[in-house]
Amino acid sequence: MMRCKAVAELLTSDRLGDEPFWVRLQVKLHLGMCKYCSRLARQMEQLRLAASRFGRSFDQEKSGADGEDLEARLLRKLTGGEP
Amino acid sequence: MPSAPQLDRSTIDRLRSRDPETLSEAVREHARPLYRAARGMGFREEEAEDLVQDIFATFLETLDRFEGLSQVRTWLFGILHHKVFERRRERYREERNDPIDEVFESRFDTRGNWVRPPDDLHRLMESQQIGEAIAGCLEGLPAAQREVFVLREVQGFETPEICKILGLTVTNMGVMMHRARNRLRECIEKRGWSKT
Repeated sequence: MMRCKAVAELLTSDRLGDEPFWVRLQVKLHLGMCKYCSRLARQMEQLRLAASRFGRSFDQEKSGADGEDLEARLLRKLTGGEP
Repeated sequence: MPSAPQLDRSTIDRLRSRDPETLSEAVREHARPLYRAARGMGFREEEAEDLVQDIFATFLETLDRFEGLSQVRTWLFGILHHKVFERRRERYREERNDPIDEVFESRFDTRGNWVRPPDDLHRLMESQQIGEAIAGCLEGLPAAQREVFVLREVQGFETPEICKILGLTVTNMGVMMHRARNRLRECIEKRGWSKT
C-alpha cells in the first residue's frame, strides 16, 4: 500500500505518466480510498487549467485591435521595414 | 500539445535567405506562443514584444548552426531561455536544498500520512479571480521553477521538449515541477482565497 507522501510526490512532480503500470494502478487505488490525496489530485488539475487560462489571457494583447498586430510589426522589423 | 514538425532542408534554406513568405509562416506560428511564455515569465507587454523580436533576430543569425535535427519551436524556446536569463542576470542553478521541501515534509508524519492535508481550492479555481491568483503566486517562484511551470502548464509542452529547451534531466525537471507546484499551492492556500 502506497503512503500518501509517495503519492503526493508523484502527483506534484508530474511524473506519474512515466511510472510503470503497476505504480499507476497503486496510485489509482490509493486515490479511490484517500480523500486528501484525491483532493491534491484535483488541485493539480485545477492548477493546470488555471495556468492554461492565465496564458490565454495574454492572447488579447497586441492582437491588432488598436492597430498593427504583434506578428505584422515583428515581420516589418525583421525584414528591415523599421529600425 | 502535439509536437511541432521538423523543418526540411529547403525551408531552412529559404529562411536563411530571408524569404518573406517562409519568414512570415515562422512568425505567424511561433511569435504568439513565445510572447505568451515571456508574459507568463513576468515580462511586461513591451518587454515581451521586444524579447520576441530579439529571439527571432538571433534565430535568423544562428540559422547556420541549425541543422534541422530539432524542431524550430524547440530552437526558438531555447533562445528564449538564454535571453531571459541574460536579461535578468539571475542564477539559473536550482538549489540542492529549497525551503519549500521542508514545507512539503511538514505536511506528513514519519509514516508518510497527511498531518496537514490540502485545502479544497475548488471554489477559487472556478472564480473570475483565478488569473490574478496565479499571476500573483507566480511572482513568488524562483525564475527557474517559474520557467519550467510556464513551459509545462501554460504552453502545454511535453517533458522531453522542456528538458531539451532548458538542458535538464527528466529527474531535475520533476524536482523543479514538484517545488513550483507546491509553492503555488502553499501561496494560494496562504492567501485564503479558497474560503471566499
